[in-house]
Amino acid sequence: MSTLRSPLRRRTVLAGGTAAGAGAAALVASSSAGASSAAAGTRYFKHGVASGDPEPNRVVIWTRVTPTEASTPGSGKGPKVQVAWEVAKDRDFRSVVRRGTFATSASRDHTVKLDVGGLKPATWYFYRFRFRGSVSRTGRMRTAPAARSTPGHLRFGVVSCANLQAGWFTAYRGLAKRDDLHAVLHLGDYLYEYGPGQYGYGSDNVDIRKHEPRHEMVSLADYRQRHAQYKRDADLQDLHAKYAWIITWDDHEVTNDQWKAGAENHTPGTGPGGEGGYAARRARAHRAYDEWMPVRMDATAALGDGSRLYRRLGFGQLAEISMLDLRTYRDQQVKTAAPTPVPALESEVNDPDRSILGRRQMRWLKESLSRKSPQWKIIGNPVMIAPVTFAAVPQELLAPINDVTGLLPDDGLPYNVDQWDGYTDDRREVLAHIRDHQIKDALFVTGDIHSGWACELPYDIGADPVVGDSAGVEFVCSSVTSNNLKDITGTPSRTTSVLVEQVILANNQHIKYLNFDDHGFSVLDITAKRAQMDWFIIGDRADRRTTVRHTASFATRTGTGKVTRVEWPVGQAVR
Amino acid sequence: MCELPSCSPGDTPFAAGLAEIRAGRRTVLKAGGAGVAFSTAAGALGAASASAAPPGTRKRAYVLVIDGCRPEEIDSGLTPNLAALRGGGLRFPRASSMPVMETIPNHVMMMTGMRPDRTGVPANAIYDRKLGETRTMDRASDIKVDTVIERLNRKGYRTGTVLSKEYLYGVFGDRATARWEPAPIIPISGHAPDHFTMRAALSMVEELDPHLMFVNLGDIDRFGHSDFTGTTVRVARKLALVDTDLLVGRFVDMLKSTGRWEHSIVIVLADHSMDWSRPDRVISLQASMDDDALLGGKVAISANGGADLLYWTGPASQRTQAVKRMREIALATPGVLSAPRRTDQWLRLGPEAGDVVVFCKAGWRFSDPNPITDNPIPGNHGHPATRAIPFFIGGGHPRVPSRRASSAHAKTVDIAPTIASFFSAGTPRRGWHGTARL
Repeated sequence: MSTLRSPLRRRTVLAGGTAAGAGAAALVASSSAGASSAAAGTRYFKHGVASGDPEPNRVVIWTRVTPTEASTPGSGKGPKVQVAWEVAKDRDFRSVVRRGTFATSASRDHTVKLDVGGLKPATWYFYRFRFRGSVSRTGRMRTAPAARSTPGHLRFGVVSCANLQAGWFTAYRGLAKRDDLHAVLHLGDYLYEYGPGQYGYGSDNVDIRKHEPRHEMVSLADYRQRHAQYKRDADLQDLHAKYAWIITWDDHEVTNDQWKAGAENHTPGTGPGGEGGYAARRARAHRAYDEWMPVRMDATAALGDGSRLYRRLGFGQLAEISMLDLRTYRDQQVKTAAPTPVPALESEVNDPDRSILGRRQMRWLKESLSRKSPQWKIIGNPVMIAPVTFAAVPQELLAPINDVTGLLPDDGLPYNVDQWDGYTDDRREVLAHIRDHQIKDALFVTGDIHSGWACELPYDIGADPVVGDSAGVEFVCSSVTSNNLKDITGTPSRTTSVLVEQVILANNQHIKYLNFDDHGFSVLDITAKRAQMDWFIIGDRADRRTTVRHTASFATRTGTGKVTRVEWPVGQAVR
Repeated sequence: MCELPSCSPGDTPFAAGLAEIRAGRRTVLKAGGAGVAFSTAAGALGAASASAAPPGTRKRAYVLVIDGCRPEEIDSGLTPNLAALRGGGLRFPRASSMPVMETIPNHVMMMTGMRPDRTGVPANAIYDRKLGETRTMDRASDIKVDTVIERLNRKGYRTGTVLSKEYLYGVFGDRATARWEPAPIIPISGHAPDHFTMRAALSMVEELDPHLMFVNLGDIDRFGHSDFTGTTVRVARKLALVDTDLLVGRFVDMLKSTGRWEHSIVIVLADHSMDWSRPDRVISLQASMDDDALLGGKVAISANGGADLLYWTGPASQRTQAVKRMREIALATPGVLSAPRRTDQWLRLGPEAGDVVVFCKAGWRFSDPNPITDNPIPGNHGHPATRAIPFFIGGGHPRVPSRRASSAHAKTVDIAPTIASFFSAGTPRRGWHGTARL
């Protein structure tokens, strides 16, 4: 998302936050290790283990080996080595079902990533790696249910927007403490490109932790080092080790507000401050991403065979997840800087020649929505699709709201041109497709905007208050750490934001929940009867030991496209 | 005297039924005290009673078709009885009507368990190449295959049809051992109001106690078709939902109060849903076809609300070229969603459906051949925007799971195999197209 680095005054009191003493629902996320001892294999396996993209018979597993002291990430140094791997049904590896070796070298930054096949559906497996007698920590993963099965429920952790400089990853820790998930959905902004002091904690951009390398990532070595730094975070390692992840990227995996041929935070050329050609920079970012993330790109775990990240993952007849890539193929965002006149702005965002998906991905998304097998069509959606309109928001709040969400141009117009509101013809086409085929249970799960939302998707926002027909539902998770409204305004939680939230809710009857204040994670639970999203929030991001608690739950009953508040979160939450 | 349908002279289904009765081929049974008339083939009930009673004869299956109901309408708060029935049993949130999403073909699919390429009934209206004109598929002889009704009859079960619409009465003919003779009939809609249909259903259960009863409740569909507030607030439609729901509640109450509930399954579904269009969103393809050099005068169109069936009537040698051209013209027409070849395997429509099937987008309708007069009604179905349906199985029989939902894709064609499975009535030699859902 847009990350304008606001000069606004930092608030003075941040400690305490919202977490402590939250009553029966209070959840304490300790900093203890996750699925297995984090100390295991730290000599050679410093970056943990991970798995991702679970299918009924295969899952991608990942690690990074450091064969010599000199073989630091991005160094290009170190020998070609063989790393052994094994997958077992039990944590003690008495029942190994698959094993092998994987050759890696400096050419791939000594990452190990392979697609393990021959597994059974809906089954927990354990995996680990060996190198020179040292054993990595053990990871755990669950295969997806068989294609024709009808699982009773599916449960996913949902996260996005984890800026290491802005705080500790308590949200990851909270999810890692749970034992009731099947996988984790990450909607993008897994890491940030900025150097220290550029985008940190609050309006003063204080770095709770400093990024490495100590400058904006531009080169391949930069991207590799930044990925490596994030993978050294203990909370992140624990969550990767605990569950398979299903991930897409947003903009910061390359750089802020990227589009198909450029980005807001990219200076082309070789002159002063120049960062070279954008296509080359993006290719380097994608290369590092392919090396360091447990995802299939172009449907394989192999490197260098393509960078298509949009893909489908089936979970029996209950659900299918279609992960979108809303950066690589999109046209440039509409310029919103004054003095752009209102009519011109409006016509540009509605221009049918502009696309956020690209034509090929649009066809693919419509296929995903039309597929007959899954009941729930879950769309992993990096930026918000629900329309957001405004009548009157206090002028003094326009800048901070924009800083967080990009929702409001300075003249108060109702557009965030970086999300689907800036590409309305694509949204119209998607919603028309849903309506033309009477597609039920389309569920967009979204990140990016550093705030929690539960929305219906009206076909016609003008007629919505009377007609109330909805194409589906959108649930938006908050950020793991990235700044939200109260962080920018420097005001206490539930003060300034409440007014803004009420204005937005009053002007958008299809929006049922909005929380501009908190960071955290969500849990999405899917059954044949309903889909429910629980929002959990953390205390102060600067406090490594801060607490986690449940704050809100909303559900949509199957077939309705409507959102209703739910009293309690699903399952037994974090202990 | 029993009250018989008031039908105009001619070859209508009701007139044909009346003629059968007058000729003595069917016997009129007076049931209940409200003048509800049932008929049966002469001696049929006696034959069923005399046959060897199959095991499990306390079992009862009731299929209630809430004609044209949209699945989300059960969540509207207007239908508490339907919602309770759905919530207490086994529901299929992902359920759909099958092409063409019209009343007759989907009722036929329900009772045959087969798609139109075997049933011979692809739409409400077809162009009959032998007759050289379009006609409604309301003849009993239009169904080319065995129905589950007849399958149960042969095994000695009693069956009953309570069908509110004249063309359903016609197409299912005298297949059931007992048939309601609908009355009174609303002349324009050609259907009996649900109040009378439900009264007949209650009487049939109490007086004749069929093992299988197949009921069509037509009000929600009929009020939907004519609801000129359909694109917005749907006033008439909502009133019909409330009324029909009360009648379903009365039916369930009867089953419970008479001790039948514990032995029964009650399958509730729709045959299709409903979509509404404004007067300015009407598609008419006939003129475009006639204006084309290749197609002019050689394309017949059978309009089915949200779907047009296009028939090439020219030389067979030009059929391939003509199909290509028909599709080109259709796809270039505003409001058209798709124009698949009838032979596309996924449609499974059979030759009665012509050569090209044209579907409209949501919010549109077809009016052919005359763009003004042939389809003035705002509510329509037949197109993909009307395929989602409610589908759930209630009842107290132990085979009905309690408060369950399944993500399996249920379809109208699943009804016959479900009923056959419930009664252990076997499967057709060439199998079902549908799947048993219990």
